[in-house]
Amino acid sequence: MLDALWIVLLGMAMIFAVLGILLGMMILLNKLIKPEKED
Amino acid sequence: MDISASDFLGFLNLNWQVVSMLAIGGFLIYLGTAKNVEPVILIPIGTGIMLANIPLGGMVDEGGLFAVLKEAGIQTELFPLLIFIGIGAMIDFGPFLERPYTILLGAVAQFGIFGTFFLAYLLGDGWLHIMDFSLKDAASIGIIGSADGPTSIYVSSVFQSKYAAAIVVAAYSYMALVPIIQPPIMRWLTTKRERRVEMPIKTDAVSRRTKIIFPIATVLIVCLIAPKATPLIGCLMFGNVLRECGVVERLSATAQNELTNVVTILLGLTVGGMMIASQFLKPETIIIFVMGIIAFALDTAAGVIFGKIMYILSGRKINPLIGAAGISAFPMSARVVQKMGLQENPHNHLLMHAVGTNTAGQIASVVAGGAMLMLIPLFS
Repeated sequence: MLDALWIVLLGMAMIFAVLGILLGMMILLNKLIKPEKED
Repeated sequence: MDISASDFLGFLNLNWQVVSMLAIGGFLIYLGTAKNVEPVILIPIGTGIMLANIPLGGMVDEGGLFAVLKEAGIQTELFPLLIFIGIGAMIDFGPFLERPYTILLGAVAQFGIFGTFFLAYLLGDGWLHIMDFSLKDAASIGIIGSADGPTSIYVSSVFQSKYAAAIVVAAYSYMALVPIIQPPIMRWLTTKRERRVEMPIKTDAVSRRTKIIFPIATVLIVCLIAPKATPLIGCLMFGNVLRECGVVERLSATAQNELTNVVTILLGLTVGGMMIASQFLKPETIIIFVMGIIAFALDTAAGVIFGKIMYILSGRKINPLIGAAGISAFPMSARVVQKMGLQENPHNHLLMHAVGTNTAGQIASVVAGGAMLMLIPLFS
């Protein structure tokens, strides 16, 4: 049962870690690359 | 020669289990055709169930059509991955890229996967031993909460769960039932004032270059951290690159239409063909369907509760209803959010915000699948 609890905690932590980095990347992309006129 | 009529006449081999499966197959075809419930997948699944359970039909015997398809497309994980290329080619990540914060709602809404996994494992080998659920079976059951058929198929086939067929049917069935499952939970967890919050329709547009860089950068980030998610996220984002690069429209159209359609037919028939009476008619199947509802409900509740937190932190600018779209049932849950928002306030158009959250949920559910594939072997 403790194993399952660890999986829950680590799994959610992993999702937040990966998506947190993705969030940072998206904010950076939006700042660095502005839409061009043809967009 | 010692031959009896039951050796070659199918109807002499009918029993209540076989008749039940034929009825289930017929019911799924009825749902698809008469009620328009996920017809694209339920009609092939229903037909597959009926054909697989015809006594002496030989469809699931060694060398039979369904046995060959299962070996070639499910055990190799080929079919769900090909479907993912098609899904990637269909998804426009624009609304999501315009609202990056929605990724947090997508992340939280994956709690249903892990919460349901925990419950299933407690019922099985983890504590109560009421059900025959191993750690891998529990993970496969939890993944119903990804609200994503191909992810469910992929994870349950990698874990070789004996309940793969029931899990896949549950995942697809509940995706169709999102408009029934979600609204009561959304209403129960939010106040009228929260549901009436208006959000601006227009946001800053993103450039085409961002849309092309995003899938490539996502593959690198996700796969380097959670390498087990590489097949899923790789195929999803490959399809998206085909869509966004703008120079291979033929390939993009093929991925969206012909590829997806052909694989959906094969996948549906194969999944139906896995539902053999002796393996499907068990108490565990009923529990898996109950667990599926729990997974969807937990996903929705977690998304809406986190939406409420964002509502407070943003100074009441974010409508918490959009959290419900963190479940990756695309685009049904986004439509549910839009409908409820309009019911409360006729000027409230939440669709694009919900679509953003919905596509965030799609990525998050794939990451969750990868996390499961990575963590379960460590604890098995």
